[in-house]
This record gives sequence, structure tokens and C-alpha cells, in this order.
Amino acid sequence: MGYRDVAKVGIGGPVGSGKTALVRRLVPELVEDGYEVGVIANDIMTQEDADVFRESFADLVPADLVEGVETGACPHTGIREDPSMNLAAIDEFTERHPDLDVVIVESGGDNLAATFNPELADYFLFVISVAEGEDIPRKRGPGVTQADLLVINKTDLAPHVDADLDVIERDTTEVRGDDPFVFTNCKDGSGVGEVISHVDREVLFA
Amino acid sequence: METEPGAFLTALRLGDSFLPVGGYTASYGLEQYINEDRIEDGDDLRALLAAYLRRVVGPCETVALANAHAAARAKDLDRLLAVDERLHAVTMPREFRESSTKAGAKLCELLLAGELEGNDPDSGVADGDSGEFATAVADAVDRDETPGHYPVVFGVVAADRGLPRLEACLTHAYSFVTGLLGAAQRLGRFGHTEIQTVLADLESVIEAVCERHVDDDVAAMTSFAPLAEIMGMRHERAGRRLFMS
Repeated sequence: MGYRDVAKVGIGGPVGSGKTALVRRLVPELVEDGYEVGVIANDIMTQEDADVFRESFADLVPADLVEGVETGACPHTGIREDPSMNLAAIDEFTERHPDLDVVIVESGGDNLAATFNPELADYFLFVISVAEGEDIPRKRGPGVTQADLLVINKTDLAPHVDADLDVIERDTTEVRGDDPFVFTNCKDGSGVGEVISHVDREVLFA
Repeated sequence: METEPGAFLTALRLGDSFLPVGGYTASYGLEQYINEDRIEDGDDLRALLAAYLRRVVGPCETVALANAHAAARAKDLDRLLAVDERLHAVTMPREFRESSTKAGAKLCELLLAGELEGNDPDSGVADGDSGEFATAVADAVDRDETPGHYPVVFGVVAADRGLPRLEACLTHAYSFVTGLLGAAQRLGRFGHTEIQTVLADLESVIEAVCERHVDDDVAAMTSFAPLAEIMGMRHERAGRRLFMS
């Protein structure tokens, strides 16, 4: 049993786009569906995200299935060029929990160029926020164009930051072609069900 | 092949992405191949990089580097400038020339700042005379008297630091390949072990092209990679540009 024997879902995206909020929505749903879930937070320098997850998932996920991976100030490297330490953490998960079904790997906060190494993530979501500007999709960052699923979060903020969701939808369709994307508001949970449907269909039942 | 320890360390240093010459910003057309969905997997990548090695790095850059190295050893500045001029002439895409000359200029800056010199008098590296030649080349680049292409400056620095010609060519070709593999990994979706497999497979090609071209005359310097050049030119107007070339 090792990292190759468990489904791995990567969640990347810029700092503040809502990756952590999405993980906090996803994990309880997956646990409720009967999956055993592990969570890895890639932090630049601290274990803060991992601590937040341990606290949030105290009744859902064993503490030893939540891990922080420090990336030496190179968060991209940890999920792309050299994912060794993430894979080692997953190996430890599978040794301790041989029935583990899925590991969520959250990146440490990226720019639009970040993608997941296909050996680390079988499927990866890239989370952007409408508050980062409505022009984010048309910049064609590899994270936006190559993610298996693009999550466009914080839709509730659109009117406050002059972001036009129609423009975002049009540009996203243009740069991603037939690849899927979902509008979400992780604060109230809208759209999260659709994200879970994609993960279910493409990863857990694949 | 036996290399002096100081020269060996120079090879490691010059071949390392840690060397601050901005190599990570160059893709030499690879980004456009990926933009146009021409590179899908490790096999495509291996085939493309082998073609770069056989058609550009070997017959063009290795010839330039080897002749620059020989010119530096002979302390022949005119010969060195002729090598640089020829490399400039046979490098077709504007962005390829710019990536090469920008990196060359940065390597010259390191040279002029004394950042490439060791402090160990017993390291076996060059005496003061050859250091003067390297400085003269760097000055000429600084004064825009010559383009200062990276393989040319690389050859001068390697000669100055006592790194033999073939080893210098191997080091340069290896760093070219790792640079492009790194770019591919950032642009596409390639696994880290897949990238290492491609690199291992290309080692024999690196060795073959360097041995084949290390003794070529400067007049033989040429490149023949029309599609790569077209990709390099289309990249100038690409909708997505993460790399300078």
C-alpha cells in the first residue's frame, strides 16, 4: 500500500481564492458519503493550514490523516517539479490507514502558473476568486487552462468588485473549451455539490 | 577523460540552474509547441529534445562553444568575435537570439564582478593572463561590440576556469536539456519520474552530438530546425506567453 494505491485530488489556486474553504466544504461531504479521507496542506513556512484542518475535522478525520508539508518557500516545486515530500506524507497515511480512499492535497497558494504533477494528483482543481479580477481566466495561466476542474469562487463578491460573471463565464469557455468549470460561493455552499459530483464521477468512480 | 577537481566544480556550477543567468525564462520555442498541442507526452518531448540536440545544440551551439573555447585558449579575440558573429547570423528566431544574448550578458556580468573566481590558488584554474582575456571578452559584450551569445561566453568562462573543451560542451548541452525539461514541466503535465526518464534517455544523444561536433570548424556552424524556428517566431505573437522565447 502506497501513494499509488489511493486516489489523490489536488486543489491549487492563488492565495485567498478559497482553497481552504473549499476543502472544509468537501471533506465533510466525502466523509458522509462513506469515504476515508486524508488531507495535506502545503504551507510555505508554517503548519497553520494543517492546524486549521485538524481543528475543523476533529470529529471527521483522524488527526494522523491531516498533515502539513513545508515546502522551503517553494510551494510550486512541492506540487510540480519535486513532489517527493507530499508523496512521502501520503505513503505514511496509507501505512497507518490501509483503507484510505482519497487524499486531498491543498497547495500552498500559487500564482496562475501552478499545476499539479500528474503523479501527485490524479485530478486537480484550480480555485480562483472573482475578487481577483474578472480578467483572470483570459490570462490563460496553466492552472486555469489545464486544471481538470476550474472552480470560480466568491461569486457573492462580484457586485462589490465590479466583476461581471457573464464576462468570466465567456472567457472561461474560450480558454478551457469543453473542460468543465463551476461557480461557487464556499461561504454559503452554493456550487459545492456540483464540485463534489465532478470529483465523484472523475476520481472516486473512475 | 580526467578532469581537475576545480574544473569539475566549474562544470557543476555552470550546469546548475542555480547559476543566475535567467535560464529559467527561456523555452526556445517549446512553449509554442505546447501552445499548439504538438507535445502531448514524454515520448513527444524526448523526440523533440533529441531533434534540438542533433540539429541545433550539436551543429550550432556546440560548434560555437568549442570554437570560442579554442579562441580563448589561443587568446585570439578576433577569432572569438567571429564565432559570436556567426552564431548570431545562424540563429534565426529573434527570441532565440535574445534569450541567448541576455543570458550571455548576465554570465559576463558575473565574470566582470569576479563572481566566477575561486579563492583557492591551488585549484588548478587559469592564470592571470587567461583571466584578462575573459575580461576583455566581457568588456566587448558590455560595450555592445559583439552580441555575446551564451554558448560563446560559456566557452570563454570554461576555458578560463580550466574546464576542457569536450566537458564544457557536455555541460552546456546537459544544462540546455534540463532547462527545457524544466520548462516543459512548468508548461505541461509531465511527471517528475517521466522527466527523469527522458533525461536519462537523452544522455546518449548529448554525448553523441558533443563528440561529433566538438572539433568542427567555425565555418561548419549551422542549424537546421525549421519547425522549431517557426515555433520560435510564432511565439512572438502567442496569446499566452510565460517564457521569453
